[in-house]
Amino acid sequence: MLSPYKDRIARVLRISRREAGVFKRRPLLIFCMLVAPIFVTLYFTSLMEQGLPDQLPTGLVDEDDTQTTRQLVRILSSMKTTGLNHRYATFSDARRAMQKGEIYAFFYIPKATTEQAIGQRQPRISFYTADSYYIPAALLMKDLKTLSELSGLAVTKETLTAKGVPQSNIMGILQPVVVETHPLANPYLNYGILLNNLIIPGIVIILIMITTAYTIGMEWKIGTQKSFLNKMAGGSVPVALTGKLLPQTILYALIFMANDVYLYRVMGYPCQCGLAPMFLLGFMTVLAAQAMAIVLFGIFAGQMRMAMSSCALLGVLSVSMAGFSYPVPAMPEVLHGLSYVFPLRDYFLIYVNQALNGYPIVYAWKPILAMLTIIAMPFLFLRRYRMAFNTIQYKP
Amino acid sequence: MSLLQDTLNVWWKEVNEMSHDAGVLIFFLFLPIAYPLIYYYVYSTELARDIPLAVVDESHSSLSREFVRKLDASPEAAVAARCADMTEARLLMEKAEVYGIVRIPSSFLDDIRHCRQTRVAVYSDVSSLIYYKSFLMPCSNIAQDMNKGIKIETLGAASMTDRELEISREPIAYDHVMLYNPQGGYASFLIPPILMLIIQQAMVLGLGMAMGRTRERNNGMAIYCGAPGYDSPTAVILGKILVVFPLFFFMALYMYVVVTWGFSLPHIGNYWDWIAMLTPYILACSCFTIVCSGMIYRREDSLLIFVFMSVPLLFLSGISWPSVSIPPVWKFVSWLFPSTFGLNAHVKIMSMGGDLAATAHEVRCLWIQAAVYFILACVQQKAQISYAERHGTPSRAIERMKAPSDGMADDNTSTLPAAQKP
Repeated sequence: MLSPYKDRIARVLRISRREAGVFKRRPLLIFCMLVAPIFVTLYFTSLMEQGLPDQLPTGLVDEDDTQTTRQLVRILSSMKTTGLNHRYATFSDARRAMQKGEIYAFFYIPKATTEQAIGQRQPRISFYTADSYYIPAALLMKDLKTLSELSGLAVTKETLTAKGVPQSNIMGILQPVVVETHPLANPYLNYGILLNNLIIPGIVIILIMITTAYTIGMEWKIGTQKSFLNKMAGGSVPVALTGKLLPQTILYALIFMANDVYLYRVMGYPCQCGLAPMFLLGFMTVLAAQAMAIVLFGIFAGQMRMAMSSCALLGVLSVSMAGFSYPVPAMPEVLHGLSYVFPLRDYFLIYVNQALNGYPIVYAWKPILAMLTIIAMPFLFLRRYRMAFNTIQYKP
Repeated sequence: MSLLQDTLNVWWKEVNEMSHDAGVLIFFLFLPIAYPLIYYYVYSTELARDIPLAVVDESHSSLSREFVRKLDASPEAAVAARCADMTEARLLMEKAEVYGIVRIPSSFLDDIRHCRQTRVAVYSDVSSLIYYKSFLMPCSNIAQDMNKGIKIETLGAASMTDRELEISREPIAYDHVMLYNPQGGYASFLIPPILMLIIQQAMVLGLGMAMGRTRERNNGMAIYCGAPGYDSPTAVILGKILVVFPLFFFMALYMYVVVTWGFSLPHIGNYWDWIAMLTPYILACSCFTIVCSGMIYRREDSLLIFVFMSVPLLFLSGISWPSVSIPPVWKFVSWLFPSTFGLNAHVKIMSMGGDLAATAHEVRCLWIQAAVYFILACVQQKAQISYAERHGTPSRAIERMKAPSDGMADDNTSTLPAAQKP
């Protein structure tokens, strides 16, 4: 006779082996656990290979067309982000091109700009960005604004030189205060680092949640839930769920580790804390995502499809709620606390603290606590699961 | 029987089946109705305001204090702490109490008085780019403004007339006009394309689940063999389109009225142009998703396959990530999905006020997609019908045999793993 402790482990292993057998027969699960995460990683890293988008199509309407404005245009076309490859005769042409999606921004120099500048009559130039496309508009705005500032300074510079101000002082007069920017940990503003580090785990979390609900629900679907709990798991819900989910925990944790190695070693994304803490974080995230799914499945006891749908809805929402694209402090107040419920949000905060910035881990206590709480949540649902296993049938 | 009658028979059967499946209804009704509202709520603030930062003012001059005052007054940033040195400010960054540090050097005033350039350093957390933008924008605006004031002082402001002062401040004036999203809001940028993506995703999830239901109840056959109308591939496809097209057309109108118009998201487009774009989009989506749903064998599989695609599809469309920066391989892949064209066409018409000429390319591609996927769907359907004829037994008998109340019998198709059988 085995001791109760050993008996439980033996049962977990037996159930896990049975689950692993299921993977072989259901290619779809393999698709979700291996193919999809690998595809997503390769897809996003190749999509954002460029890091920071450059040579974004920009238009020019130069109604003045003098030597001075042409010089301006030359400066503009030498800028990295701006891809000055469209010229239009009139303002409306440029606007229509923008609506067609040919350009993301255009620079407008009206007639007699040079004449007015020389005559000290303050001409007015302008630039237009299509802010329906957020990233290109924001990037181009920086370039075009710099150019507009420069054009005014160029006029003053000539006046100063004419007045005999020494060259060494000219910049000190034109631009005494210079703003120096230091985007910490991501000096080139690589969008891959910004987005891939979170989107990829986010999608893996969606997959974990859905497959977890699917795997648990399968028992109900084939109608074996009662005998599974009572015979295979010896009547213990923790044994039943652990056994069922263990193979996935291992596989997904490996996926997280492989991703970490790929992003931080192959792609060279910043990782101040080294790989080991990120491996641990990945493992915790897998557990948290599975726990979330267990809780949702418990809420919709035995209703596999409802559980899977809610996993999907929350999973997709978590990509927004994590706050790496639009920060959580800017969201409505209610969502600030609620955001901790999403495993991806906690992952994001711990990742920023550890890998991106390399700060002391104590300052990430809130997301760590949140994650541990999520992981512990399923224990509140044991009774409900017992009830579901014993009395609830699959509803088609 | 005529095609019309077959189509109507299929339509009626499909409506009956789908309306009895709670899972399908989640995707056909709940998702398109509730998700736009949830998404809008998340982004409803539109802009990040008063993001906290720390200031290290080593200059302690009136001019540096003016800089800090103006920074605090800017809408984007808020001075949450004034620190004695960088170590103290860095600690606040580590605690995530502030997301950036502005350091004004001790030589700030001296440099300016001696006509030397002085450097104000902005350190920003880049876990979200919006933090960076919220600090950089006000700082450079304030610096430019101060520069102009300092410049005219140096040039001898006392001897100038007001007009001369103005011109010396800014010999060439300029404007930045943010078109189509004047406040640069996040919801105004992201919600319109997301609405269109929700249509495609809800359709593919719902139809996939409906197909799973058909197969589960029908011995693995993709059609209700024996039911009237199911012997003509065209009728089956037309019947299915007739189910989803009006439903999602209505959902698109709902999204327009309640979300776009109700929450004042950009809606400067011509209504009829939008309808002329929407029609091929929903049609292309219908045919595309019917083809996709053919891959589904069990009800729940549709969630496993299609859900995670939502985020990659948004990026593939060129809305989040500029389409010119998408590698050619992915560009070709993006042409397979109606969402690529639908999202862009919707943004161009509704957000940017373009007309049909501006979206001619997208609309043409959507019609082509609709046609191609329609033909594909018919071919697929024909194969499924002939498969059912070869292997299927009259479906009604099976349906009666497999009483739906008995959960055990629901999935005992040949694909079931032996290990899972009791």
